[in-house]
Amino acid sequence: MRGPPVPEALTYQDVALQHDAATAPAVGPVSLHLCVGERVLLMGPSGAGKSTLLHAATGLFPVSIGGARHGEIVLNGRPVDSRRPADWADTCGYLFQDAAQTLAGFTVRDEIAFGPENRGVDPAEIHDFVALSMRRVGIPETWADRRITALSGGERQLVALAALLAQGAPVTLADEPAASLAPMAARRMAELLLAPGCTAMVVEHKPGPILDHVDRCIALGAGGRVMVEVPPRDVVERHGEALAEAGIALPLATRLHTAWPDLIDPRLPLSRALRRVVPAHADRLRAAILPDPIEAGPELVTLDRAACAPPFGPVVLRDVSLTVRAGEVLAILGPNGAGKSTLAGCLAGLVPLKAGTRKGAPGAVAFQNPEAHFSRESVRAEIEGLGHGPEVTGRILADWSLDRVADQHPFTLSQGQKRRLALALIAEAGRWPLLILDEPTAGLDGGTEAALARRIRELAREGRGIAVSTHDMDFALAVADRAVLLDRGGVEFCGSCPDLMRDRARLTRAGLLPPEAAPVLDWLDAAC
Amino acid sequence: MLTTLHPLPKLALCLALILASLVVFRLSFQILLFVAATLVLLIDARIPLRRLLLLMVPFALFGFGFFTTSVLFRAESGFAMQMAQEQGGGPDVAPGLVLFFRVLACGMASAVFALTTDPGRFVRALMQHLRLPAPMGFALLQAMHMVPDLRAELLQLRMARAMRLGRPLRRVPVPTEAISLAIPLLAYAIRRATRAALSFEARGLQRDGVRTTLPQPPMTRSDAIVLATGLAALLLTVWISGRLPV
Repeated sequence: MRGPPVPEALTYQDVALQHDAATAPAVGPVSLHLCVGERVLLMGPSGAGKSTLLHAATGLFPVSIGGARHGEIVLNGRPVDSRRPADWADTCGYLFQDAAQTLAGFTVRDEIAFGPENRGVDPAEIHDFVALSMRRVGIPETWADRRITALSGGERQLVALAALLAQGAPVTLADEPAASLAPMAARRMAELLLAPGCTAMVVEHKPGPILDHVDRCIALGAGGRVMVEVPPRDVVERHGEALAEAGIALPLATRLHTAWPDLIDPRLPLSRALRRVVPAHADRLRAAILPDPIEAGPELVTLDRAACAPPFGPVVLRDVSLTVRAGEVLAILGPNGAGKSTLAGCLAGLVPLKAGTRKGAPGAVAFQNPEAHFSRESVRAEIEGLGHGPEVTGRILADWSLDRVADQHPFTLSQGQKRRLALALIAEAGRWPLLILDEPTAGLDGGTEAALARRIRELAREGRGIAVSTHDMDFALAVADRAVLLDRGGVEFCGSCPDLMRDRARLTRAGLLPPEAAPVLDWLDAAC
Repeated sequence: MLTTLHPLPKLALCLALILASLVVFRLSFQILLFVAATLVLLIDARIPLRRLLLLMVPFALFGFGFFTTSVLFRAESGFAMQMAQEQGGGPDVAPGLVLFFRVLACGMASAVFALTTDPGRFVRALMQHLRLPAPMGFALLQAMHMVPDLRAELLQLRMARAMRLGRPLRRVPVPTEAISLAIPLLAYAIRRATRAALSFEARGLQRDGVRTTLPQPPMTRSDAIVLATGLAALLLTVWISGRLPV
């Protein structure tokens, strides 16, 4: 017997969205809906129009973001055009991709109070709203008077979440909310944002950690059309191959099942599925989660008892002794604000040390903000600026999947495309023996991330030394031979990357979580 | 003590100091005001002396123009003389010297406000008591956020360029580098401001909406006492300077 129909919180009916000056729609036409009390995961490759679709829900697109919309959007039973975008704040709350650039208040308290103030909440009650939201997110009370500018990127994202909760809108739209969060904070974010009974649509490039928290998954294809719309279990069981082909990152169990359908049952938790695997398959599983070994060459850069500080700032890391060799990939791991980006600058020799010594050739850093690397009028011009001939330029554009946007201005690319271009500019220059990639996977879809991992190993095989600063433990495990864990102002661990990933206690102390592949590591230990 | 004072009485007091500095053309008054403001910054606000001296540099350079023309070269500019005569300045002291200390006194009085006031609290006080429209207030706050972010962005741009050109990062950019960074930095500021405006709109900020504000610490009796004491001290300084020869 069917229950009563669940009202729809948000409906897109044949919606197509086209940005000003674009020649084709960014997304659509699509028809989809979000029911009251339903949690939907929206997936898709970079540039599929997911963010644009979210912006259109309250009319921000095309009222405030220039463009054209065809089709109808209904929010909470009313056409979206019937109110101004700001009026919908009582119904729909946003969590934006880059919290650092969208916070309004001067202090944490101001920021969280912003939503209730705009709603006209009784001033006497605003403090309670603020305190409750901080408690729910786990923000310490001592943060209330901290300036927003003094927070790290991940901390700002947590404050943005608290502000969203204080806003109290019944529908939540979140655009990659966990992209800059350490794993434990990301899990907390998913638990709060996608608690049972919440009405939420979340865009996420890495659906693995949140699949258990959603009721339905919608995947957009590269053309901005709905490709798959199914419950999460069907994503794993029936559509893994198609989604992987479209460049969407899938949970490890699904990827293993797609590669070896006879080996892994995707319906079981990975640790249970592995019990049925015989030890003879150890090499295949090892190759699936760990990088091919590369013989390390001479030392490229050495830090000895270094004190590292951001440019013109105070020391954040002390007594750092570290070596990167040719042919080696080093993962730099740590919680938000641990000093990973600072270490990246010091390793490259861009930022002078406050104490200690650095020996070795200069390195290049691919910054977190890819736009810092762009200085020319088109993607092609940027690549041509590396000084290669037309043939090599064409090859680089194709290798980094930038050929279709070669004539676009770099600033008009999607976040994933920008990051690919920035990495290509660093990696293909051939000038630096040491490359440091700062959060290289942020904003990348599954296909591009896998290609990046392969490219990193190729560069290491060519004799480059590579350091990767990341929150993504599985990516670190997939590319890095060694890992350095930063916490409490220093180096907490420096050694084999798989060894660190097995050390759950150490990771937990640093606010990190073991990778998705941890059960496979355990299985390999037991089998070999 | 000044840091805990309500921003609006403090603003009124600092404006009164600046106004007095503009209308009282006596060297002794300008020096007393300058010394008093500097002592407040050193003792009450605990600003390090080195930072204060650095802060004085632009004011001193500005005032130095008057000083050099009227004292070092013994040739008072017509402008300085005219100002001195209009405001009752005597011929026994170089007007350029008075103007030099006036610039320093005004600079330090502004610094007293700027260095002892929480900018967020100040903007909120303006919104709450002086009816500054909320979109304008939050735009001001956003501009304050943007200053350190612009500095970080500038640094990242400079590091990216230094890397590309294969040279170390200079502590201070040369003029050609500074000029070439202006456009990307401006583009960043525009994009940043656009994203912030979108976020504000999405979160319900609008010009004509009914809006409440987070309760702020109210003006207290001690604020009034400090304001009255400050004004009385100002009058006393005017009186004392009138008794001094210059």
